[in-house]
Amino acid sequence: MATDNANASGFGEVSRLRGVVFEYLSLGASVIGLVALGVLLVYVTIDAFDLANASPEWLLTYFLTLVVPFLAFCLYSVSDPAVTRRSLAALGGGLVAVAALFTAIETFLVAIPRLSWQLAYLFVVAMPVTAYLTYVGSRGRVGAVGFGLVGRLVGGIAIGLALGTLFLVFDPLVWFLAYTLGVVPAAALYAYGRWRSADRASTAAVPVGLLGVVAAVFLRGVVTTYPSDLIIYIWTLAVPIAVAGERVVADRSSRIAAAAVGGVPLAVAIAGGFLAGGLGVPGPTALLVLVTVGVPTAVYVHRTIDEGDGVVGLALPVLLVGGALVGALVVEAWGVPAPDPWLDVGYVTEAPSSTAVEAGLYPAIVGSVIIIALVAVLSFVLGVGTSVFLEEYMPESGVLGSLTRLLQVNIANLAAIPSVVYGLLGLGLFANLLGFGLGTAVTASLTLSLLILPITIISAQEAIRSVPDDLRRGSDAMGATRWQTTKNVVLPEAFPGILTGTILALGRAIGETAPLIMIGAATTVFSAPDSLFSRFSAMPMQIYAWANYPQAEFRYGVVAAGVITLLIILIGMNGTAILLRNRAERGT
Amino acid sequence: MSNTETSDSLITTDVETGSNEQTAAPDRTAVAARDLNVYYGDEQAIDDVSMEIPENRVTALIGPSGCGKSTFLRCINRMNDMIEVCRVEGDIEFGGKNVYDADVDPVALRRKIGMVFQKPNPFPKSIRDNVAYGLKIQGYDGDVDERVEESLKGAALWDEVKDQLGSSGLDLSGGQQQRLCIARAIAPDPEVVLMDEPTSALDPVAASKIEDLIDDLAEEYTVIIVTHNMQQAARISDRTAVFLTGGRLVEYDDTTKIFEDPEEQRVEDYITGKFG
Repeated sequence: MATDNANASGFGEVSRLRGVVFEYLSLGASVIGLVALGVLLVYVTIDAFDLANASPEWLLTYFLTLVVPFLAFCLYSVSDPAVTRRSLAALGGGLVAVAALFTAIETFLVAIPRLSWQLAYLFVVAMPVTAYLTYVGSRGRVGAVGFGLVGRLVGGIAIGLALGTLFLVFDPLVWFLAYTLGVVPAAALYAYGRWRSADRASTAAVPVGLLGVVAAVFLRGVVTTYPSDLIIYIWTLAVPIAVAGERVVADRSSRIAAAAVGGVPLAVAIAGGFLAGGLGVPGPTALLVLVTVGVPTAVYVHRTIDEGDGVVGLALPVLLVGGALVGALVVEAWGVPAPDPWLDVGYVTEAPSSTAVEAGLYPAIVGSVIIIALVAVLSFVLGVGTSVFLEEYMPESGVLGSLTRLLQVNIANLAAIPSVVYGLLGLGLFANLLGFGLGTAVTASLTLSLLILPITIISAQEAIRSVPDDLRRGSDAMGATRWQTTKNVVLPEAFPGILTGTILALGRAIGETAPLIMIGAATTVFSAPDSLFSRFSAMPMQIYAWANYPQAEFRYGVVAAGVITLLIILIGMNGTAILLRNRAERGT
Repeated sequence: MSNTETSDSLITTDVETGSNEQTAAPDRTAVAARDLNVYYGDEQAIDDVSMEIPENRVTALIGPSGCGKSTFLRCINRMNDMIEVCRVEGDIEFGGKNVYDADVDPVALRRKIGMVFQKPNPFPKSIRDNVAYGLKIQGYDGDVDERVEESLKGAALWDEVKDQLGSSGLDLSGGQQQRLCIARAIAPDPEVVLMDEPTSALDPVAASKIEDLIDDLAEEYTVIIVTHNMQQAARISDRTAVFLTGGRLVEYDDTTKIFEDPEEQRVEDYITGKFG
C-alpha cells in the first residue's frame, strides 16, 4: 500500500469559497457602522477644537512635543524591536500614503471640506498607531505604572468634580449631620467589633448608622449653627479618604510612610481649599479634587516605589504635561497661528449665552450628572430587585409560573416602547399626579429610570440565570435559606453581568431627549440646579436647542463641543463602571 | 424546627424491615426509610423502599443509571423539594423524626446533614470562605478559623492549602476542589454526610484520596454514598444497598455478603457485569 499510494498527489481540494466570502461579508458588516461613526466623530472633533483652522506648523509642534514623546514612552515600555520597526513603518508609510491619496482625491474627485491631509494623517494613521501602542505599552511594567498613575490623576479629578456637583443639589448640612451622627458611630462600632471580634458590635453598626441618618434629617432644621462648607467637606470627605489611604499603606509598610501618604495630600488639599478662593476657584471644589487626586496618587506612587518595578513609568504625567507646556511655549514664541477651540474651560464652567463665543454648557452638565446619578441608583435597585424576584423566587410551573411568564413577556415588550410614551407617563404620573413638578430633576430621573428599567431587568435576569445551578444546590444543601443563597452566592457571581447591563442602559438614558421634552424640561437654563425640585436642562436638550439656532457658529462649533463633552462624560461614567466590574470579576 | 431539638437522641427502636432480607444490625440506626415512594410527575422513581442505615458506617447505594439511588439520597435531606414535579410518600426517619412531617423545616434539616455532589462545586470565594460558609450562614459564634482548620484537616486538604487560604477555591485541582467541598460539608459538624458519586468526575489518583478520606470520615459521621463504581463500593463501604431498575431496593446487606454471596441472581449478574 505504501508504495502504491493513491493519494501520492495529495488529497484533492475542498472549496472554501463560500466560507471566505461569508467571512469578508461579516467583516464588512462589523466595520461599516464603526467607520461611519468614526467619520462623524472626526468631524465633530475638528469642529469642537477648531482644528480646521489649525496651521500645519501648529500641528507639527504638538506632534513633536506631545505625540512623539508619548509614542517613545510606549515603545520603551514594550521594548520589542519588532514592534518599534512596525510602528515606525506604519507612521512613515502612512504619511506618504495619506498625502498621496488625499491629494489624488482632492485633484481628481471632490474637495474634502474642513480636512487637510495633515489632519487626515493625524486621525487615520497617528491616532490608531497611538492607540495600538498605548495598548501594547500598557502590557509592559513601565507602561502599566505610567497609565495607572495617569488614570488615577484623571479619575481623581473626575470623582472630585462629580462629588462637588452632587453637593450642589444634596444639602451638605444634612450630609454633615448624617455623617457625624450615623456614619462615624457605625464605622467605629464595626471597627471595634472586628478588632475585639465582638459580633454584637458589628451587627449593631447598621441600625446605629440608619438611626443616625434619620436623626440627621430631623435635626437639620433644629440645629442652627453649622461650620462652613469647607470645614464640612474636610471633616466628612477629605479626612476619611486620607485615613483610608493611610490604612491601605499601613497594611504593608511603616507607620511614617502611611502617615505621609495620608497626611501630605490632606494638608495640600486643605491649604488648596483655603487658598483657592483667591484664584477664583470655589474652595470646596478645589479641596475635593485635590484630595481625590492626591490620596490615590500618593498610595500608588508609594506602592510602585516600594515594589521598585517600573518606577520610570511614574514620569508619564510629567512627560505629557511638560510636552503640552513646551508646545504652548513654542507656539507662543514663534507666533504660530493657533486654533481657537470651542471646547475650553469657559465652555464647561459658564452658562449658555446668546453669542456663540460666550456659550457654555455648565448648567446642562450639572443637570445631566445629577439625573444620571439618580437614574443609576434607582434603576439598579429596582432592576436587581425585580430580576432576583423573577429568577429566584417565582416558581416555574403552576399558576404562578404562568404569571411569571406573563410578567416576563410584558417586561420584554416594555423595552420596545418608544421613549416618547415614557415621557407621557412621566408627565401624567410624576409631574402631575404625584406633584413632583414639570421639568424638575426628580421627575426626569424617575421617568428615565422607568425607561431603562426593562433593559436593566432583562440583562440582570440573564446574569442571574447564568449562575450555575450547582452553586445554588451547594448552598441549599448547606442549609442556607433562599435569601442566604441569593445574597452569598448568586448575587456576587452575577454582579459583573448585572453591571454590564446597567452600563449599557445608562448610556441610553444619558442621551435621551424625547421623554425630557415631554415632561417639560427646559432646553436652556442659565443657572445650575440647586435642588432636586429645581428646573434643569440636560446636555442632549441643550445640544438640540443649539442645533436649531440660526448662526452657523452654534450649529457647528458649539454643538460639536457639546457632543464631545457628552461623550467624554459618558465614557468617563462607563469607564468607572467597567473598572468596578473588572474588579468584581477579579475578586471571584 | 422541632427536629433540631430532638436530633441528638437518635432513634434506636427496631423498625420493621419490609420485604428485604436483612441480617441483625448491631449498630444504632441513623437514617431509616419506611415504605418510601417517590414520583416525578407520573413516573415512579422509587418503589416502596424500606431500609435502615447504621450510624458511623459507610453505606453504599449502587445500581444502574436511573434506578433511583440518587433520588433516594436527595430524599434524606429533602433536596428533592427543589424539584417542583417531585412527590414523596412514606417516611424517612432521622433523629427520631420523620423528615417529611409538616413541622420540619427543610433548611434546618439540611444543617444537620452535609452533602457532597458529583461535580465539585466550590463557591467562587476564597478557600477559607468556602469552608466557613456553613458556619457563617448558621451564625456560628465560636472561633471560625479554628473550625476551618479542623475541617480542612478532616478533609485531608490542610497541608496542601494552609498557605493559600485566601486564594480562590476555583484555583485548586479537581480532586482538591472535591475535598474542599467535603471540608465545607463537615465544617458545621453534621451527623450524616451524603455523597452523590463524589469521585466520578475525578482521575483515579484523586479518587483514591477521596476513598481513603471517606474511611476516616466514618469514624465521626454516618456516610451514605451513591456510586457507579462497584470496586469502590466494595472497598469503602460497610453496608451496600443494590437498587435495580424501577427504583426497587433489591438487596441490602453487609458489603462482604453482597459482593461474595448475594441472595439474588439479578444482583450477582449486576455486580459481575453481566447486566446493567
